[in-house]
Amino acid sequence: MIREEVLRQVQERFKDDIIDFFDKTPKRVFIEIKPESITEVVQYILKERAARFNIATALDARYHTEIIYHFTIEDINLLISFRVKLDKKKPKIDSITPILEGANWIEREMNEMLGIEFVGHPDMRRLLLADDWPEGIYPLRCDYKEWDEKAIRDRGI
Amino acid sequence: MDIKTKALLKSPWVFHLSTGSCNNCDIEVLDCLTPRFDIERFGMILAGSIKHADVLLVTGSCNRQSAIRLKRLYEQVSKPVFVVAIGECSLSRGMFIHSYNCPVPLDKIIPVDVYIPGCPPKPEAIIAGVVKMIEKVKAADKAKKK
Repeated sequence: MIREEVLRQVQERFKDDIIDFFDKTPKRVFIEIKPESITEVVQYILKERAARFNIATALDARYHTEIIYHFTIEDINLLISFRVKLDKKKPKIDSITPILEGANWIEREMNEMLGIEFVGHPDMRRLLLADDWPEGIYPLRCDYKEWDEKAIRDRGI
Repeated sequence: MDIKTKALLKSPWVFHLSTGSCNNCDIEVLDCLTPRFDIERFGMILAGSIKHADVLLVTGSCNRQSAIRLKRLYEQVSKPVFVVAIGECSLSRGMFIHSYNCPVPLDKIIPVDVYIPGCPPKPEAIIAGVVKMIEKVKAADKAKKK
C-alpha cells in the first residue's frame, strides 16, 4: 500500500469527521478530526492499517486546548498526526486506553499537567507530580501562577 | 594534626548523590574515577553506603520529591561530612530557577561547604575543588592547634 492510497482511504472512510487535512512533507501528515470520533479512528488505524502508536502531545493555546496523537506506519515511512481541539474551560475526551494499553501513562500525565479529563480511563492516579502538590492546580496551563509562599525566585545578589 | 582529622582527610571516601539531574554532571564525576583523571591516587574511593561516606558529591537541582529523600539521607550520614555541590543546577538551580518543581536552592536544605561551578564542570575542576577543600581544612586545623 503506497502513501497516497493510504491517505485516500482514510479520507474516504472518515469523510464527515475530518475537518482539515494538511500534507506537510512526504513523511508527515496532519489530520484534524472531531473529538467524538477518536475511538473509531484509532481502532481503524491500529487494526486495519497496522500502525504503531508513538506518543500523544497536548498544549494549551489561546482559545482552546488541543491534543495530537502520533501514529507511524513504518513500511511506507509515514507519520500521521491526528489533531483534536477541545474546549478550554472543561476539556474532556474519550480515553483510548481500553483499545491500547500503551496510552495509559501519557493520559495520566496529560490529566495532571493540563487538566484534561479522560472518560473511561481505568486508573487515573498521579504520575509525576509530588504527593503534596495541591489538587486543581495545573502547571503547564497558560494561566499558571505561583502558589507557593516559601519559594525563593531571586538569585540573591 | 590529630588522629580524627588525619583519618578524615588522608583517604576520604566519596558518596555520589543525584537529586534529579540530567546526568551530565554524574558522567563527569564518573570520569574522575577512571585512570585518566585519577582521584584514587588521593585515596578517594566510591563508598557503597552513605554511612561510610566522608565527602558527599551532590548534583542536580533539588525538586519537591527528592527534597524529602535528601533530608532523610542527610540525617543518616555520620558527621563530620563535607558536602560538595557540583554543577550549576545544585548551586542555585541554574536555568530551572523559575520552574514549578524546584522551589528552593540546595543551600537552604542542607549545609554546603564547596561549590564547583560549570555545566558540567570538567573533571580537572572537580579534582581541584576537592583538593582545595582538603588543604583548607588542614590549614584551619593547624591554625586552631596554635
